[in-house]
Amino acid sequence: MDSIISVRNVTYEYKEEETVYAAVKDLSLEIERGSFTVILGHNGSGKSTLAKMLNGLNKPTSGDVLVDGINTKEESTEVEVKRKVGMVFQNPDNQIIASIVEEDVAFGPENLGLDPAEIRRRVDDALKAVDMYDFRESTPHRLSGGQKQRIAIAGIMAMEPECLVLDEPTAMLDPKGRAEIISTLHRLNSEKGITVVLITHYMEEAENADRVIVMNDGKIIADDVPKVIFSDVKTLKSVGLDVPQTAELLYRLKENGFSVDTHALSVKEAAAEIIKALRSEE
Amino acid sequence: MTVLEVKNLTHTYSGNTPFINDAVSRVSFSAEKGEIIGIIGHTGSGKSTLVQHLNGLLKPTEGEVFVDGENIWDNPKEIRKIRSKVGLVFQYPEYQLFEETVYADIAFGPKNMGLAGDELKKRVLDTCRLIGVKDEYLEKSPFDLSGGEKRRVAIAGVMAMKPEVIVFDEPTAGLDPAGRESVMKIIHDYRQAVGATVIIISHSMEDMALLADKLLVMNKGSLEMFDTVENVFLNGDRLREIGLNVPIVTRVFYELKAAGIPVPDNVFTVSRAVEVLKGIKAGERGA
Amino acid sequence: MLKDITFGQYYESRSLIHRTDPRLKMVLLIALIVFIFLAKNTFSMALAVLFVLSVMAVSKVPVKLYLKNMKAILPVLIFTGIINLFYGEGETLISFWKLEITTGGIYRAVFMMVRITLLIFLSSALTYTTTPNDLTDAIESLLSPLRFVGLKSAVHTLAMMMTIALRFIPTLIEEAEKIMNAQKARGADLENGSLRERVKALIPILIPLLISSVRRAYELAEAMECRCYNGGEGRTRMKQMHIRPRDFAVLAVCAAVCGGIITLNILF
Repeated sequence: MDSIISVRNVTYEYKEEETVYAAVKDLSLEIERGSFTVILGHNGSGKSTLAKMLNGLNKPTSGDVLVDGINTKEESTEVEVKRKVGMVFQNPDNQIIASIVEEDVAFGPENLGLDPAEIRRRVDDALKAVDMYDFRESTPHRLSGGQKQRIAIAGIMAMEPECLVLDEPTAMLDPKGRAEIISTLHRLNSEKGITVVLITHYMEEAENADRVIVMNDGKIIADDVPKVIFSDVKTLKSVGLDVPQTAELLYRLKENGFSVDTHALSVKEAAAEIIKALRSEE
Repeated sequence: MTVLEVKNLTHTYSGNTPFINDAVSRVSFSAEKGEIIGIIGHTGSGKSTLVQHLNGLLKPTEGEVFVDGENIWDNPKEIRKIRSKVGLVFQYPEYQLFEETVYADIAFGPKNMGLAGDELKKRVLDTCRLIGVKDEYLEKSPFDLSGGEKRRVAIAGVMAMKPEVIVFDEPTAGLDPAGRESVMKIIHDYRQAVGATVIIISHSMEDMALLADKLLVMNKGSLEMFDTVENVFLNGDRLREIGLNVPIVTRVFYELKAAGIPVPDNVFTVSRAVEVLKGIKAGERGA
Repeated sequence: MLKDITFGQYYESRSLIHRTDPRLKMVLLIALIVFIFLAKNTFSMALAVLFVLSVMAVSKVPVKLYLKNMKAILPVLIFTGIINLFYGEGETLISFWKLEITTGGIYRAVFMMVRITLLIFLSSALTYTTTPNDLTDAIESLLSPLRFVGLKSAVHTLAMMMTIALRFIPTLIEEAEKIMNAQKARGADLENGSLRERVKALIPILIPLLISSVRRAYELAEAMECRCYNGGEGRTRMKQMHIRPRDFAVLAVCAAVCGGIITLNILF
């Protein structure tokens, strides 16, 4: 596998009032270049701590994180790592630095010391990629939550990273904003080949991912394609995760003796399963 | 018994504010004692403006709000008294915590109402017992609690005023399932104990189907529908037109119906769906 | 109430004034204010008034917005006017108690009020036609000679702080309003009581606001780190400021006006 990020036996500890807690425990993980990975976990499962280690914002207490072969512990290549792995956070308000959209998107490339014409090109490309080009001269605080979060994504895209790590980017958005962000991420992944690592506790956002990793108590407890992960409703519920109504319905039908395949996720797939199960009775 | 009545409420924002205008026009509805009313509508439909009128934080440009039959603006000087009758829990209420201890923070509301001494203490402790804030937390700083616990304490701060109507603006936003469940439980427990009317703004049609008695649908500042959950969700096409939807399980049932399976239209929760399908299966086996 | 404060009041348009180099606009603003205060007779003042009105017209910013800014300083304006009424010579028109209003006083009061009005209009013309970021960049650029005395990073830091402040002021105003409403919903009384009680009533608002600002600052710092921010060293800018031919034209017009004011002062 061609990995963009390799996490090798990583443990992350933090200290609170003399007690040492481990947020991530001896975890190993490879992220394939060009893939779309979703990391699911409830609050406190260690998923955010892991996310911040993927671009060197957090340094592992033990073990190594390699980005394109570069160890994130290396101080001399810190900027290189952050340029390759961009990071988007939960609250869009706290990631936007400038009062004009395009000037904010320019902030990253400006820090890289690029030529003004090159910055301009990247800013325009990034804004078009998130479908916010028409808003380039607007003021961020007049935009909706979903639009602001797309600006934050554009700000990272303008650094032309290979990988985007997003730490619960939809947690503060309304359903419309959430849908905007998820479809933007899929477009960046399929059209630009950006590797996406999406951290969330909304399971339905993992629906079209290549791979879903479930974390609990600092460890990976499941790692597979969405359909396989979602059919195990019991485990997901036991680690405090949300289950989409379709998965829940099929799971409960199966418990009640229906011969349904619980892998189905979308409304259409779920309906097809139920129809099949009912017809097979005839 | 009607506890809350809104008549022809209109609110227009004056001036050139840089913020999104969230106006409301000619909204009328009433709430009965003990009812749970869900308010749905997309962002900017006027939901937040509407609920801020219910406890007199905003004054209507036109129209009236009645609590227990009295127009709340009859005596503007007494408007603060309304706030203990109609409690309002804002989005992310944990960001309003400020006291040194959990106890002091919960006591802030009742103290503002004029409670003191043993009466105040009893009120705070009763509220904590009712919604499960543990005794050992009372002397802790609210800022040392986890996210879910902070929210519980913040909600307790409003409940300690013992309002007869309590309004929540997306009470579960940003919480994980365990946190959401515990917030829903304290809302339920409070209503049971006090017999209060509950009004909840939510984006989750699934939660609304489980919880609410009636739904109030807002669209572009106007009241689109105000009816029982069943009657509102039977209007799936209209809901979609205004950017809303029916619960996911209902959408699955639309597909079943389209495929010719004889399912009813009023399936809005997973439990009901399982019952209905079990019935159909048994019927087919019998046939 | 808090919502009525607009900050960083940029008005989007593409007028000549909008497109003039922000550094030039700042320098010209200062120069013009000096000359407006130098105008001492009706003719030179009329020229100044005419000039400022043309600037306002050319800026394509609605007059309503200019007047809105006037409203805020109206008390100051009236106060200055009244004070000046009593300082002057000439024929006494009204006298009461120990005070006299003279023709000279009226003249002085009117002049002072016109000057302040022009000053407000002109500064508004700058803030309405220049984005806060351009203003910040202009200040950074104008202060850049300080780097020769070893203050380069200080200039960059100052400019960065201004950028962030401008960006976050509306956010924090909105947040303060939310917290105020939340505490009011808990029965807090912010409007009545003695001064001491009112100051005390601010605690439930200021503490949450402070805590949230610290949290925001922390998150913002992380986000900036993720965008490879490393201070001013090696940083380039997307928007380069260039002096263009039209800037020389603007400069020439302003110089002519300043010259005109002085000439009219001498002639009459």
